[in-house]
Amino acid sequence: MENLHEKIALLEDYIMKKCLWQFHSRAWDRKDQNENILRKATQILCGDAVELETPADRCYWVDALSLTEAFQERYEWLAAMSKEEIKQLMQGLKERIDFVTITGSLNAELTDPRY
Amino acid sequence: MPYHEFECSKCIPERKKHAVIKGPGEDLTHALPLGYLNTIPGSISERGCAYCGAKHVIGTPMKDVIHLSHGPTGCTYDTWQTKRYISDNDNFQLKYTFASDVKEKHIVFGAEKVLKQNIIEAFKAFPDMKRMTIYQTCATALIGDDVDAIAEEVMEEMPEVDIFVCNSPGFAGPSQSGGHHKINIAWIKKKVGTVEPKITSDYVINYVGEYNIQGDQEVMLDYFNRMGIQVLSTFTGNGSYDELRAMHRAHLNVLECARSAEYICNELKVKYGIPRLDIDGFGFEPLSTSLRKIGLFFGIEERAQAIIDEETARWKPELDWYKERLKGKRVCLWPGGSKLWHWANVLHEEMGVDIVSVYTKFGHQGDMEKGIARCEVGALAFDDPNELEGLEAIDMLKPDIIFTGKRPGEVAKKVRVPYLNAHAYHNGPYKGYEGWVRFARDIYNAIYSPIHQLSHLDISKDEIPTGAGFQTATMISDVNLSEEVLSSSTLRQYTGKYDSVSDLRKKTYPEFKKKERSE
Repeated sequence: MENLHEKIALLEDYIMKKCLWQFHSRAWDRKDQNENILRKATQILCGDAVELETPADRCYWVDALSLTEAFQERYEWLAAMSKEEIKQLMQGLKERIDFVTITGSLNAELTDPRY
Repeated sequence: MPYHEFECSKCIPERKKHAVIKGPGEDLTHALPLGYLNTIPGSISERGCAYCGAKHVIGTPMKDVIHLSHGPTGCTYDTWQTKRYISDNDNFQLKYTFASDVKEKHIVFGAEKVLKQNIIEAFKAFPDMKRMTIYQTCATALIGDDVDAIAEEVMEEMPEVDIFVCNSPGFAGPSQSGGHHKINIAWIKKKVGTVEPKITSDYVINYVGEYNIQGDQEVMLDYFNRMGIQVLSTFTGNGSYDELRAMHRAHLNVLECARSAEYICNELKVKYGIPRLDIDGFGFEPLSTSLRKIGLFFGIEERAQAIIDEETARWKPELDWYKERLKGKRVCLWPGGSKLWHWANVLHEEMGVDIVSVYTKFGHQGDMEKGIARCEVGALAFDDPNELEGLEAIDMLKPDIIFTGKRPGEVAKKVRVPYLNAHAYHNGPYKGYEGWVRFARDIYNAIYSPIHQLSHLDISKDEIPTGAGFQTATMISDVNLSEEVLSSSTLRQYTGKYDSVSDLRKKTYPEFKKKERSE
């Protein structure tokens, strides 16, 4: 199957075409969204416990769960990956999504201090 | 992703940074159109003004309110029987429109007195209406009328009424989007938290950025009611003034049009800790995912799944009938602000059409990020278009249909390209499962209308086939379909009613008992 880079590209393509959570309007919100949703998605894929203490946690979790269900349905190779490999994959995905939506973004409004 | 320069806009060089073509192997970090900037002088924009964005888009869909423009009657005329954000109280907000009728003499001597007279007169003319919104306009803002002070005076004299003042004159932003921003912020600052609602469910949401275009909100409300969710308020389609004052008590903000209403969701999150969940109400898969997410948030995902299963079984065969006939059709998706990203991917996936271009009249760069991300390679994306650029793009891309507003839509028709109204719809609602099929039907009817057999002929030079009869839409659309599709016993055309909304207003819903809570 594809190497890590190609796998990340497939997951990124899904997120960019199907999800909205990565495109909040300010850099700090995008950072929160990417970090929390992709961390919870990693926990779900690895079978680890997911914190659901607050309403914010639950909101991140529903996006994360929806994402992981779609990944598992579309990409059978995920099932064959070990926990460590999944963590490496999701870390690479997080770096890529952060780059496209925050650090490499050309959106001049991201740093506007007010909503 | 190279920037694209229109031939017709070479004399306006700044325009080049407002258009890109999505190239293979490129992403959003290579190029992104500029957005939410003042229109460049010389470019005849299709935008509206900041007053329009505040009043005509967001304020006026509130149903139980006298909406009064403080300015000339011309400013308010555009909502009178013309908008399509209906309501379940006999469309009061569409049937009546109000203005303080400011004239030249008021510009010289001040218009506060005439405003006060008009407020009182309007309340007396409609004694059942106890709520009012007042919108500042360019002229009255420039002469410095203190609308807030007048509203306070009236509320002291008439304690039974409540008035909201929106200070968003037409010049207060580059486009209608400036007005969306101003009314969002003004509403949370002035009105949210001033009414305590009755909570009737364990699951309470605000439905935000939804304007009930031809009944969209009522379709979604039906799903939420079937799930036992209390919709505390809708911001603002078919919404109630006092319910919107109670937004602070929701457990979740479900956000549909982030372009026009993300500001209030962000502020509700900061001020009251209510999380924001962005959803897509258009298309089978995105809507199913959205309902499931809301269900998951409250732990009632099985209720969402029951709706998804029932609605998909009922409507999917009809959607697929149209998909077979729309595959490969070229679409210019040219809406106002949010539908380029709501629709770009799901139209391609669920109706088989190719989105060859997206544009946004008043979107920000964030909307372009979402829209371009959801397009396929090769799509032309541009911001704040002018009419000549639209015509040049049509000539270059040869679309089969355009989804846009009625003004650029009529321009497209003149060059013999059909259009559907992306803002107010043709035969909506388009949200929900049935709504998505209605949209597919409208697209099919527009592309395959027999009228094109005549309208595409130029009587000054083409030979007119007087001996031949019309071909029906089906004769044209089915010519290249396989036998398997043609003889399918499952696929069928739309079988819903002409009016898919009125029956929803008569529905009753199962009662879901509220959980006992120990304090």
